[in-house]
Amino acid sequence: MLYIIAFIVYAIIGTAIAIYAKRGIRTQEDYYIGGRRVSGAISALTYAATTYSAFMMVGLVGLSYASGVGALGFELFYLVGTLLLLSYYAPRIWKLGKDRGYITPGDMISERYGAMVPKIMAVIVSIALIPYISVQLIGVALIIEKNSGISFMNGIFLAAILIAFWAFLGGLRGVAWTDAVQGVFMLVLAISAVIWVYTSGFSDISFTQEVPKLGDLLVVPNRIWTPLRFISLTVPWFFFALTNPQVFQRLYIPKNEHAVKRMVILFGVFGLVYTILVTFLGLELRVMSELGSFPLIKDRDAVTPTLLGMMPPTLGVLLSLSIFAAAITTANSIVLTLASMISRDLFGSERIFTGRVLIILLTIAITVFALQRPGYIVELSVLSSTLLLCQLPLILGVFHWKIGGKISANLTLISGFCLAVALFYAKINPLGIPASVWVFATSFFIFFVAANLEHRR
Amino acid sequence: MKPLEGLIVILAMVVPFVFIKSHDMLTYIYWCLVASVYLAYIALSRW
Repeated sequence: MLYIIAFIVYAIIGTAIAIYAKRGIRTQEDYYIGGRRVSGAISALTYAATTYSAFMMVGLVGLSYASGVGALGFELFYLVGTLLLLSYYAPRIWKLGKDRGYITPGDMISERYGAMVPKIMAVIVSIALIPYISVQLIGVALIIEKNSGISFMNGIFLAAILIAFWAFLGGLRGVAWTDAVQGVFMLVLAISAVIWVYTSGFSDISFTQEVPKLGDLLVVPNRIWTPLRFISLTVPWFFFALTNPQVFQRLYIPKNEHAVKRMVILFGVFGLVYTILVTFLGLELRVMSELGSFPLIKDRDAVTPTLLGMMPPTLGVLLSLSIFAAAITTANSIVLTLASMISRDLFGSERIFTGRVLIILLTIAITVFALQRPGYIVELSVLSSTLLLCQLPLILGVFHWKIGGKISANLTLISGFCLAVALFYAKINPLGIPASVWVFATSFFIFFVAANLEHRR
Repeated sequence: MKPLEGLIVILAMVVPFVFIKSHDMLTYIYWCLVASVYLAYIALSRW
């Protein structure tokens, strides 16, 4: 009952924000990128809420619990990589977008490589990201089912309705403003969870005195975080800021260059604090397991649900809702971006109506995937970041290389995508090198070889 | 992008794999410090 009341309040607040954001939407620029009038703080919060999905409070807590400090290293590698890329590219991409009127990531690519390339990109990112969102929804629906009594199917439907409704009504502004509120909510609940676990688990004993019990989990490499595993996970995530369209498109939204810089810095602060909280929570719980005050859990994805079951009901409900919010903020941002890419880049539509129809269709596709729960859906979602790597040479080419046209771009995307799928399904790492590194290296190799041949012609 | 800056950041993040072997929170604190210092550098000096 408590969960249902909290959920209704959450849904009403979000819907009110989305309705308010709906005012003044006339063009695709207004709908998909907020008319390039978003403040630095809101841009930062929507960037953070879009980036940090339910994976953080469920997956990363469990990963820290099971594998130790390597999980922090993996996540902070992503953060410093993103800061490195954004500090250089964000102002340039924002300025290009403003000067040339770009709305989708494909607009920038199209100008350099021709109109066919963004069409292929739209297909690739849809294949990569639809299963990724579906898996998020499956995860949160299972948590809700366990902790609130709302059935799995109803959990999926509730999430789908909010994803589609808020994006449909307010476009980017609706998504960004609800993201901002939910981002703060996620951060506050992460702080509350860490404090609650600390006070309940370490009131009589010192965490720092007990933490050596974790042994090899406190160093890298260890039996889980081998150098190879670390590289295979960090390579695709390091370039997330450029290869994932839902965050790339957010580089167009700030109102001025000062707001772009503010967005990057505030996102960095949010990301650092949130990552520290989430990984510390995982380590706290693992120390408590070693001390016998928290069950020793083999399945790392069960760590957070177990914690939710032990918390006071109010805190458990709010933390569970913050996980739901994290999934919603990521999902509706991806749906809106995919709608813009399919609408503009694939179909060439200049109408907002097309985008709104696509938001509904995409949400239905995500819901069907999530309800059917086919075995390959999880595999595809794991593969998503590697699939998107094939776009990287094209994006960097816009800023750094004069060679490379439509043939090399098309060839790079198709071959990189096919290689990622082939390596993943064959479950092989040739020469012991991770699939993500193969896709990364092969995409650049094909781009440069084809670009040189194209240049000579 | 400044390749040297990227190289320094990556090398700094890799340090625990080679040099930190103590069974305490040193690796954890080190990584937090590197990320914090880099964020401060971007906020205060880079722009």
